[in-house]
Amino acid sequence: MRPPRTILGRALDGDLGRSFRRSPPTVLAAAVALALILGAALAPLIAPADPHDPASLNLMNGFTPPMTPNAFTGEAFWLGTDDQGRDMASAILYGLRISLFVGVAAVALAMLIGVTLGLIAGYVGGWVDGVIMRVADIQLTFPAILVAMLIFGVAKGLTPPESRDQMAIWVLILSIGLSDWVQFARTVRASAMVEAQKDYVAAARLIGRSGAAIMLRHVAPNALGPVLVIATISLALAIIAEATLSFLGVGAPPTSPSLGTLIRIGQGYLFSGEWWILFFPALTLLALALAVNLLGDWLRDALNPRLR
Amino acid sequence: MRLIAALFAAALAPGLVAASFAAPVEAAEFRWAATADAATLDPHAQNTATVLGFLNNVYEGLVRRGRDMALESALAERWEALEGGAGWRFHLRKGVTFHDGAAFDAEDVLFSHARAASKQSDVASWFAQVRAVEAPDPYTVDFLTTAPSPIFPDSIANFMIMDKGWAEANGAALPDRETGNFATLNANGTGAFRVTLREPGLQTVLEPFDKWWGTPEHNITRAIHKPIKNPATALASLISGAVDFIEPAPIQDIERLRATDGVQVIEGVEARTIFFGFRQNRERLLDGGANIFKDVRVREAVNHAINVEAIVTVILRGAAQPVSQLIDPASRGYSHARAARPAFDLDKAKALIAEAGASGAAFTLACPNDRYIADAAVCQAVVGMLAQAGLAPRLVTLPAAQYFAALRERQFDMYLLGWSADTFDAEHPIRFLAATPDAEKKLGSWNFGGFSNDRVDALLPLIQTELDEAARQAMLDEVAAILQDEAAYVPLYVQPLLWAARANIALSQRADNFFILRWVTVN
Amino acid sequence: MLAFILRRLAQSALVLLAVGLIAFAMFRFVGDPIDAMLGQERTVEDIARLRAALGLDRSFVEQYLRFLGGALQGEFGVSWRLGRPVGRLLAERAPATLELALVSGVLAVGLGIGLGVYTALRRGGWLAGAIMTGSLIGVSLPTFLIGILLIWVFSVELGWLPSFGRGETVDLGFWTTGFLTVSGLKALILPSITLGLYQMTLIMRLVRAEMLEVLRADYIRFARARGLRERSIHFRHALKNTLAPVITVTGLQIGAIVAFAIITETVFQWPGVGLLFINAVQAVDIPVMAAYLMLIAALFVAINLIVDILYVMIDPRLRADRAGAAR
Repeated sequence: MRPPRTILGRALDGDLGRSFRRSPPTVLAAAVALALILGAALAPLIAPADPHDPASLNLMNGFTPPMTPNAFTGEAFWLGTDDQGRDMASAILYGLRISLFVGVAAVALAMLIGVTLGLIAGYVGGWVDGVIMRVADIQLTFPAILVAMLIFGVAKGLTPPESRDQMAIWVLILSIGLSDWVQFARTVRASAMVEAQKDYVAAARLIGRSGAAIMLRHVAPNALGPVLVIATISLALAIIAEATLSFLGVGAPPTSPSLGTLIRIGQGYLFSGEWWILFFPALTLLALALAVNLLGDWLRDALNPRLR
Repeated sequence: MRLIAALFAAALAPGLVAASFAAPVEAAEFRWAATADAATLDPHAQNTATVLGFLNNVYEGLVRRGRDMALESALAERWEALEGGAGWRFHLRKGVTFHDGAAFDAEDVLFSHARAASKQSDVASWFAQVRAVEAPDPYTVDFLTTAPSPIFPDSIANFMIMDKGWAEANGAALPDRETGNFATLNANGTGAFRVTLREPGLQTVLEPFDKWWGTPEHNITRAIHKPIKNPATALASLISGAVDFIEPAPIQDIERLRATDGVQVIEGVEARTIFFGFRQNRERLLDGGANIFKDVRVREAVNHAINVEAIVTVILRGAAQPVSQLIDPASRGYSHARAARPAFDLDKAKALIAEAGASGAAFTLACPNDRYIADAAVCQAVVGMLAQAGLAPRLVTLPAAQYFAALRERQFDMYLLGWSADTFDAEHPIRFLAATPDAEKKLGSWNFGGFSNDRVDALLPLIQTELDEAARQAMLDEVAAILQDEAAYVPLYVQPLLWAARANIALSQRADNFFILRWVTVN
Repeated sequence: MLAFILRRLAQSALVLLAVGLIAFAMFRFVGDPIDAMLGQERTVEDIARLRAALGLDRSFVEQYLRFLGGALQGEFGVSWRLGRPVGRLLAERAPATLELALVSGVLAVGLGIGLGVYTALRRGGWLAGAIMTGSLIGVSLPTFLIGILLIWVFSVELGWLPSFGRGETVDLGFWTTGFLTVSGLKALILPSITLGLYQMTLIMRLVRAEMLEVLRADYIRFARARGLRERSIHFRHALKNTLAPVITVTGLQIGAIVAFAIITETVFQWPGVGLLFINAVQAVDIPVMAAYLMLIAALFVAINLIVDILYVMIDPRLRADRAGAAR
């Protein structure tokens, strides 16, 4: 057989690729995740309406069932409308956008803080390491979502009421990111400690390279492998954390709702017959969570040297 | 395998056992739930319908309202106006005792008035016109007013009498609105029920007071009240029979409730108008921009931009009534001449805003999110409507517990408010909402936007002392016309009154949304 | 051994002090308590009076120490939202959360171990496969979604179980219990399933994995060769060795239970400390948030300490190592 010529082909033919192809649930999960991500990214282009623009809403469209023309305006919507006349399909796409944005940004923030602190702790050692690890330990005593709630509450208290809605997304990213950095720090610290002992680092120091340069150019790349696995799992957790916080009312506000907020709104109408306001966002969140979880599981198994 | 089965069974057993019992609720035990819990048991500490409505079952006043809102005798058997409009004389009922056994007499009325009119009380404005209170004998009390006050008895329908001895002995001689005192958690009234358990925010238990002076029209032996914030939860518990009565019933579930067996929906219209107010007494908006609401064209434009019919149809499911003034049509003093609302006209609104140079102006729109029916949803819809008219509102929603304090402090640019006049008379909203704020005379204390009109201020004292109905109505009509022409407020609708109960409950609904326990029969 | 315990105690104290500092900082820098507590008609004298009463006119360190001292005595200040002492609020609502946590814990451990053993023994069977897939969903689904689903099915559609609150409770003085009434027991079912599902899935997978490993081990094959009955092999040997790590993990799951309790209590309006906390976050009620933070820290620190000490005491290998290293 000739070796495949495209990058994708070669990727699918490697070790990782083969284990990917052999597992149907994983392929399905990847397809679903891809579809959702594409939908979210292209939302402004493919969504029928912009649910975040209050001027585009017509209240008389409210509570329209899926694929049924509205009694007053005659408009029909694929997935129905919510209490404000927002098209559910658009709301879900934009909500996905927010959920994914917050998830990715939060993980990026957590990675930035965690990797930096982990590198410093592992490479520099001494009392700096001690302090960072103490702080990490203290934070680890609390479940991440509790830390996120506390940070959100405090940040909310520090912002004046008028700006709270606009700041909500950033505060969410901050709180989820700050609650999640510890695992990154620990893993990177362990790798950094190992690398710091090696000869090439001593050699680099001899020729006068600065500590920061050594850390970034040599130590960091070698420590990044396990970080990717943690990042995928963190992403799944961050997405669920954001949905939970929004559902509890301490996350994305109803004026720019994420999937969790939509579910919170929908819960109030589930029992009165407008089931679609809850059902479709819940289904989307379920699909997203499962997909990312499955991918994370597969990645962890595939990269686990013991099972090879 | 047997161990596994045993583990399974052990885990599931409690559930199975519990489910197989269908515990019947005692016929005369009554459970009811509301979205909010009364924040205090002190009848002078908070002037809100939630607190006063609940305490109406435990405390009583000189007068009270009947099923049709007409004034009835309570702790006062009869009353009459004094010569020349000097005040009112109340003849007290004899043989009344408080829940702890103490006797009721004029001393308690004097004490309660001093307490309710004090600086620490939230109901002092009811006694703004009272200059002195005297007790010629132990069962007569005179309220002397600064000027003739024809509706004074109406204005004290929720003034509740406390026992002087009990209050002083327990350190509750004055209300404490900050940290609370004995009267916040304990009640000792003359009412048909007494509080036997109070867990704030969790539950309150009431039991009939066997020495009550009146004739019971109920068959309740025990009443348990719990707050349920979440409407879906409340609905589910009513349908499953866990509670007998919920108020308010969630508006979106009315159809479902009507169609459910074993449940009845009690509908009416509450005498509560919902409206928007504007910041009118400052040059700048909250964020420093020029105050667009000082311009009557902008206020008019807002009136035309809001589609009240759509709000009533979609959000309130057709259960509310659009209104044109700050008082509802059924109350005394409503101006029929000015019954028409400004029409929904988006183009006119856009034109007015452009003319006033306010296109694209950003401002803060504030609303509570758990006080009035669908309050947050209404405000969200209005944000959209105002955006279409060319403005840029920023929505702020707060829980009621913080909203009113924040409103007083920060004076939001545009705010939602609901008003229920406890006198059921048009003079009430004028006194609180349209009069220029004056702390000394206790005027305009809820006029957060600072609306001020000299003619209205001049007419108010005349209205308050005018005894001729026709002349009074003419003055009220003039004030209504001024408020509409100046677009001082944006009256939206009269709030629907929706209660839901199990089918075997007989009760009476009152237009002020007060739930009176002693009219309930469990069949 | 003693040195180890002392060191861990010192560490725990340090953690608690740090958390106390954070809680106190929250108090000082977020929001103005004077604003929150006084109404519209406040005068300059009122402000000064309340300032002195709350001790806000003293130095930072002095306030911090007073704060800590108060906390040790259960004095956490007054809730800005409810106007009542926070200590009393927490004491009133703790029984609800503790009972819920207990029942869901029992459920999680019982079903977790049971299903874990089953799926390990019947590996490859269709039911075991279905349970494993179900467990994946149980882990991926957010807790609140599980709760809503259960309410919809069992409360609204079927009408079997209540969807809110604790039902009737019996007041035993310092404790209110829902165990003694039928409605109380009924009300416990859905919330404890919601709360316990995640833990149950974790325990189940852990037990299964451990059991599979152990079943492959040499001493099991040796026991089979000796002719011992299957059941004896499974339960006396395999399960016992599986349980040690499970117990450790379960103990450390307390953190997760606390977090999920907040969510479960919100979905079911369960009147415990979790619901109190989330209402406090929504309303920026700092005293309640700070008090909750410190109590949770104390709880976790205590549990971690106990688990660490027990582990060292139980596991003979660790003890031997320690003894060996000391020489």
